[in-house]
Amino acid sequence: MKLGRAGGAALALLGAFALVAAAAALGLVGADYHGFVAEPYAPPGPGLWLGADALGRDLGARVLQGTRVSLLVGVVASLLTLALGGLLGGLAGLRGGWVDRLVIALTDAVAAIPPLITLLGFCLVLGPGVSSVILAIALSQWTGICRSVRAEARRLRRADFVRAAEAMGAGWPHLLRVHLLPHLAPLLLTSAVLYFVHAIKVEALLAFFGQSSQELPSWGLLLAECGSELSRGIWWPLVGASAPLALLTLAAQVVADRLADPPGAR
Amino acid sequence: MTRSALAGRLVGALVTLALVVVIVFGIAGALADPAVIALGGGAPVDEVARLRHAWGLDRPWQVRLGELAWGLLHLDLGLSRIQQAPVSALIGRALAPTLAYALPGILLALALALAGGLAAARRPGGPIDRLVNLSATLLLSTSSVIVVLAAHGLLARRLGLFPIIGWPLVGSDAAAAGLVVLPALTWALLQLGPDLRHFRALFVRELDAPYLDGLRSRGIAEARVLGHALRGASGPILARLAARLPHLVVGSLVIEQVFNIPGIGGLALTALRTGDLALVEGLALLLALVTIVGQLLLDLAAAALDPRLAAGGER
Repeated sequence: MKLGRAGGAALALLGAFALVAAAAALGLVGADYHGFVAEPYAPPGPGLWLGADALGRDLGARVLQGTRVSLLVGVVASLLTLALGGLLGGLAGLRGGWVDRLVIALTDAVAAIPPLITLLGFCLVLGPGVSSVILAIALSQWTGICRSVRAEARRLRRADFVRAAEAMGAGWPHLLRVHLLPHLAPLLLTSAVLYFVHAIKVEALLAFFGQSSQELPSWGLLLAECGSELSRGIWWPLVGASAPLALLTLAAQVVADRLADPPGAR
Repeated sequence: MTRSALAGRLVGALVTLALVVVIVFGIAGALADPAVIALGGGAPVDEVARLRHAWGLDRPWQVRLGELAWGLLHLDLGLSRIQQAPVSALIGRALAPTLAYALPGILLALALALAGGLAAARRPGGPIDRLVNLSATLLLSTSSVIVVLAAHGLLARRLGLFPIIGWPLVGSDAAAAGLVVLPALTWALLQLGPDLRHFRALFVRELDAPYLDGLRSRGIAEARVLGHALRGASGPILARLAARLPHLVVGSLVIEQVFNIPGIGGLALTALRTGDLALVEGLALLLALVTIVGQLLLDLAAAALDPRLAAGGER
């Protein structure tokens, strides 16, 4: 697969984020993220490369630990969204009839409720936490991929090889796995990366309102804690939390764009 | 749109709406107990039971769903027990502050995205196209939290170019017009990334159409040719606007939080923080209604603008 120079660089950057998250999870970097080690809002300096937050905790360590939350939510939520939407869409497209009509009606109904309200509603009902955020994202975002997979499945249902398989008695799980999945692979891959970007942005948004991880610091939470101190000249919390968030989403977005529209294909 | 197609569309919208009611009622009823949420997780059992009885939650679900549906037919969304006020009144009060910044913002974003997309699509791969693509990618991949905090922190607080709040405080007689400028601009910026991309792709396809070459070969001025392209693409443009409707009425949670605007997003946040399930349900139902009706109206408008759709043809 050819991603071009920008795509390759973006992919390498994503790999670097994964390494940082793994190192932070193992305690190799940013291990002391909840100890009070400095004066509140101590500026960046030797030993404290990103300064301190409002309570005097090492901001650099907290930013490094935040990578874990973002990557976890991004990966799990995007996979769950794809699985849910893909299965429902594939089922509807292959089976047709009342199953199709039911799935379409369900998709329309879920898509009609503004996603932000769904997200907040799930957070209220399930309580704050990483797993609530992941579930809320998956249960509110599956409609898009469901519609695309359904359209593709309907097109394929009329193909000769699918009808031949059906004539030999293949059921829809077999059709889904053997005939639909290979055709959908490019679409699913691109959508996975786009949902990854979206999930990370949603996590930051929910964390900003205190609904995400309660143990680990998340970038959205860091932004909420110190985002308003910019007017006093305290720039390091805002920059420290938003730079990795922006870089991660930008890298993933570039990869998704290159996957959808490979350089040299035009 | 033919009469039977219109009838089908109306029935479809009603079915969707009914399903939304059932889904919202079902999920809220299956996953959570408003009494437990209101009292907190550690509340004693008899205390919860007393509240459930007082709120009528111990009646069978058929009765409660029927009551909800009956209320909806009268546009009554029930009562917020936490705020001691009808849900529809709370939402009605919050609508103006949200629309005050969201409507100008969304129109501005639409105009900018149409102009930018058209300019980029005239020479795909050219310098304007690359600039538009780059800014769309940057805007698209930046979290709304960062954009809003940076706009508020830098432009309003640090440089003092704009007021730091987005709506007059209670009891103040300041005019809202000056206050909503920065929230509206920020809101436009948040919408611009995806819209730019969408309209660029749309116009790249539309400008390839043979009828535009036909117009040019007859010596029609380029500006008028582009006007024709704009009308030719009116269906997808309106469809895009329909897809944006929910954003318009909900607004942005972050903007309303940071600029202290008492709008719909702020109302949803209050509901979340106080555990007001009835308010969240009411918001979901009302906003779904707005979305469905809006889509219906924009479909009709698209059919009126594009005779190919009115004749029952496909685009």
